[in-house]
Amino acid sequence: MKRLYSASGDDADPSAPSKYVTLVSGDGFEFVVLREAAKISPIIKGMLDPRSQFAEAKDARCVFQEMSGLVLDKVVEYFHYWYRYKDSEDVPDMDIPVELCLELLAAADYLGLDQANMSTK
Amino acid sequence: MLVFHTLAYPPLCCNADQYDCLGPVDASMIKARMGGQVVILLGRNQSALTDFLASHNISAAQIRADADRRRQQAVENGETEETTEAGEVEPTEENEVSETVEVSVTAVEASAAGRGTRSRNAAAEKKAKALDKIKASKAFKKRKKNADDDEYDDEIAQAIFEERSAPLPGQMENCEICGKRFTVTPYSVAGPDGGLLCAPCGREIAKDREGQPKKKPRKQTGGVGSRRTLQSRMLDGDVGTKSLATLCVQTLAKNVDLAESLGDLPEHLIDKIARIFSKRRLLKPDTLPLFTQPTTEVLHIYDGAKLGHQDFISIFQVASNLKKFKVRCAVQFKDEVMDYLLSRDILLESFYLHGANLLSEDKWHEFLAAKGKSLKELQVYFTDRHFGDETLGLLKEYCPNLSRLKVCHNQKVTDVGVIAIGNLPSLRHLSLELQQDSSAEALRTCITQVGKDLRTLSFKIVPDADDSVLEAIHNTCRSLAKLRITESETMTDKGFAKLFADWENPPLDFVDLQKCRQLDAAHPRANPDGIGLCSEGFKALMKHSGHALRTLNVHACRHISREAFEEVFGGTKEYPELRRLEISFCEEVTDFILGSIFRTCPNIKEVNVFGCMKVKDVRVPRGVILVGVPNAQGMITEGTD
Repeated sequence: MKRLYSASGDDADPSAPSKYVTLVSGDGFEFVVLREAAKISPIIKGMLDPRSQFAEAKDARCVFQEMSGLVLDKVVEYFHYWYRYKDSEDVPDMDIPVELCLELLAAADYLGLDQANMSTK
Repeated sequence: MLVFHTLAYPPLCCNADQYDCLGPVDASMIKARMGGQVVILLGRNQSALTDFLASHNISAAQIRADADRRRQQAVENGETEETTEAGEVEPTEENEVSETVEVSVTAVEASAAGRGTRSRNAAAEKKAKALDKIKASKAFKKRKKNADDDEYDDEIAQAIFEERSAPLPGQMENCEICGKRFTVTPYSVAGPDGGLLCAPCGREIAKDREGQPKKKPRKQTGGVGSRRTLQSRMLDGDVGTKSLATLCVQTLAKNVDLAESLGDLPEHLIDKIARIFSKRRLLKPDTLPLFTQPTTEVLHIYDGAKLGHQDFISIFQVASNLKKFKVRCAVQFKDEVMDYLLSRDILLESFYLHGANLLSEDKWHEFLAAKGKSLKELQVYFTDRHFGDETLGLLKEYCPNLSRLKVCHNQKVTDVGVIAIGNLPSLRHLSLELQQDSSAEALRTCITQVGKDLRTLSFKIVPDADDSVLEAIHNTCRSLAKLRITESETMTDKGFAKLFADWENPPLDFVDLQKCRQLDAAHPRANPDGIGLCSEGFKALMKHSGHALRTLNVHACRHISREAFEEVFGGTKEYPELRRLEISFCEEVTDFILGSIFRTCPNIKEVNVFGCMKVKDVRVPRGVILVGVPNAQGMITEGTD
């Protein structure tokens, strides 16, 4: 297993859900992401809802079989981009590699990262 | 090899002064290198060089002796002495060497001599020191203020260092690649490692770089133009981060030429791409195939102005399963295209045609006769003289399943056509915007006949429609969700109040009554007859539909009073669904009313207040867009000051 974006705050209070969640791509790359940032996707938010009793919510770990590591890497980058700029008005655009464009678009659609679905408040 | 360098270039006059301007490091470095090189020269090609040196009054033997002495000294001093100081330690040597330099200063290539390497290490050390010094300097801090990232620290310091250390135009410098000495000009090209290049090397490098994309300018965050960009985005209705889907679609639109097919993306994304393509005028005959595949069932072309009639025909050739077809600016959609469509067995459910002026009336009739049965939606815009009363009259016979009909800007449609629409019992959505003003009677007749099941009723620019039309709506419509009546000059406040009072229709979610107001240039503020949507009508509207409304447009309904607004948006009332509110040119809107709106509409996204001159200094909650604030600063978001 290849672990990227490793985070330092994993050993938090065990009773409270960790501040981080793990997203896993189809080809086995793991990304540890701030829970708060990943929740911009309504799909991931639903998966991680503690009331849902999904396995994802218990382990704080979501596996996306249909996404490659490359695509998930960009998605994770977007989560952080969103998290960083969520309170600012003047935001530079994030760069999207042209060759990943269509795959990423499909992934964005799957994760509900569309203007209509994302709550900006 | 070095000999040729020496011979090919005339000796340069280098004296101690010139070294001074290069600084002690450079001077000693050159000296050190000279020592190494001259020895090599002498060892390899003695006769030619000796002749040459002799002609310049230099003794080769002496040079060799000097070099030996220097090398020996270097070995002795090696462990303890700082090589950079060498020049100053032995001032006599400098004079001697300057003569040597005259000969072969052009051949200053990085030598393997230990002294040279060491002096370069020292130079690197010195550079690091200089960088640290720069980082602490004022100029650095000033620059840093503009860029907010820590990661650029080093880059900035490096840039300042290079600015300071790069020789000015007119001075001499050694080319970074070939090592030749040349005069620096303002056009000298920077080499791969930051040094300057001589003219021939510069040209080579420029040629190499031509193919590569230019370095992208870093996007400005703040400063010039950012405010305007922000305001412009606000008018488009979004602030803050764009969604990932939007970013992808934008990237795609920037690189259309690279895309071969869009793959199997869901329909709504294809539509999103189609929109942005048209917005950027990218939809051309060569990009059309991206959207027309044999499996395509829905095709929306938002700007077909660049398509010829052959391209339209090709759409029907390729997409044989087409169900929903929409083209705007379809100028070249003419008879030939329609003929082709008629020859295929494509059965359209939805047909939207905008600006097809060349399509004749006969072809319209042929089309309706042949394909009308499957047609559920028909939207026709700006086809001037070829789609009129007669065509509308045929719909009853040919299109028994028609549920949506929209006719806009067609000069040939008159009251006769409007009454004919009344004969379409399957109709659910009706929109009219006609060039010929429809009479109240025609509208009334139409509504009474089809109004019962209508979901959408939209009459744009109907100056003659009066209270009897509202009464007809009140009496017949039972399932309306969207109501639009604009620019009526005769409807009264009472009529509106009566429409919404005890109306058996469920609450509406879309209401647009813009510009229903009294027009009298002589007495613009007086409204003795209560014409247009005024206070009572507005209160009745909000009472009836307020809790379900998503979009409300009362643009320029100028006689809605401050009290009415305060009553509607006051107290404990709540409008949970309201997303967009257009109250531009409602003169009585104040800061207090806006504050009440933000409080009573928890999901509000956008409020337009153009021309509301009493709006002065309102704080807008985060996530809400307030457009048209009548001052230069624009909207101020809560908590930003």
